[in-house]
Amino acid sequence: MEPRFACTACGKCCHGLLPLTLTDAVAHAVRFPLALVWTVVRSNAKSYDLATRLGTSVRLPNRKTVAVLIQPSAYLPNHFPCPALQPDNLCGIHSDKPSRCRTMPFYPYREEKDQADLLVPRKGWECDVSAEAPVVYRNHAILDRTNFDRERAELLEQAPVMRTYADYVLKYMPWIVNDLAKMAAAPAGGKLVTSLSSFLTATRRTDARELAAAQAPLMQAMAERTRTDPALADLHKNYAGWAKEMERLAQRP
Amino acid sequence: MTSSACPCCSGLPFETCCGPILAGAPAATAEALMRSRYTAFVRHDLDHVERTHAPEIREDFNRAEAERVAEECDWQRLDVLRATEEGDEGTVEFLIHFRRDGQDMRHHERASFRRIDGQWLYSAGEVNPKGEPRRVVKVGRNEPCPCGSGKKFKACCGR
Ligand code: SF4
Ligand code: SF4
Ligand SMILES: [Zn+2]
Ligand SMILES: [Zn+2]
Repeated sequence: MEPRFACTACGKCCHGLLPLTLTDAVAHAVRFPLALVWTVVRSNAKSYDLATRLGTSVRLPNRKTVAVLIQPSAYLPNHFPCPALQPDNLCGIHSDKPSRCRTMPFYPYREEKDQADLLVPRKGWECDVSAEAPVVYRNHAILDRTNFDRERAELLEQAPVMRTYADYVLKYMPWIVNDLAKMAAAPAGGKLVTSLSSFLTATRRTDARELAAAQAPLMQAMAERTRTDPALADLHKNYAGWAKEMERLAQRP
Repeated sequence: MTSSACPCCSGLPFETCCGPILAGAPAATAEALMRSRYTAFVRHDLDHVERTHAPEIREDFNRAEAERVAEECDWQRLDVLRATEEGDEGTVEFLIHFRRDGQDMRHHERASFRRIDGQWLYSAGEVNPKGEPRRVVKVGRNEPCPCGSGKKFKACCGR
């Protein structure tokens, strides 16, 4: 049976963390509160080789090497809707939406031949996978690969920047190696979040001030929205702290 | 006016310890510079921290983050564990005790200093990871799987 898939625009997947390409993150900096999200890909994972090309390789204290993806992301709590999601569940920026949203349900951080199970809707999602839906994937190949290829190309293009950033972090926040080791050892893995301000410093972006000015009010708003929920205390702390950093960066001469 | 004890825990009054260094006088030793940089954090005087970075790391300084950290931490104590100097090179190993988010923390570092034109500058630091603030969060069942599959954890490796 060939996997079929159509989006019914139920909006269910437009919630929580949204990994972006660097280009999209910059382009949508007025809309999404941004952070850098690190994930460890172990050497026995199918996507390991690809992950080393899209991300970086890190040698852990136990001498094992893992691949680490650093994804610029819209940093939102799991159940928070994307700020661009409209009350009718449609995307408010459809013609301009990030690559990640265009490529859905495919995921270019994985090999093309390894996408079949991504076509199975997750619980609660209303993707159409019935006989009425078009075939989108055949013989382990994506039929319309425009968006997949574009997102993959952007990821490959930004990889050197992400590596520069990884080097910076490992040099100035060396304890992160231990966090990565923990993530690699834990069956549930984990994710680690670093701030946009460290990324802007490390990559010496000339538009740092503009980006910070766009981010400051977003971080402030997120800090407010997460203030009272004890389950979101960690996120709240990040938002509140980053709001200050962004305000300061925005005011730099 | 009675002078107050210097925040760097030297036991000396601020006016004769870190005070002049913060005001721009060159530090006599790498240790004195290290102490003054700690005092600068305590007093939220990040200008001093910024101007005492060696040229090769100046661009790497995240001033916005440092200002926030200076403000959010309750700086409790500096212990200088070891300080050595040889010509224009110095090393200071130190422990900073502070409270952040209601938790007692320690920062343990072996810092390198270099004297350029008579000025001691901070050039590198090696952090002992023990006691560092951790930022790892457990993956929730509904969060993306750490294997990078793009699927939720419970539908992937967490199954
Ligand atoms: S940008 Fe649009 S498609 Fe993407 S997550 Fe937000 S609402 Fe959904
Ligand atoms: S969950 Fe499926 S149907 Fe709903 S918006 Fe996302 S891709 Fe479309
Ligand atoms: Zn002092
Ligand atoms: Zn998985």
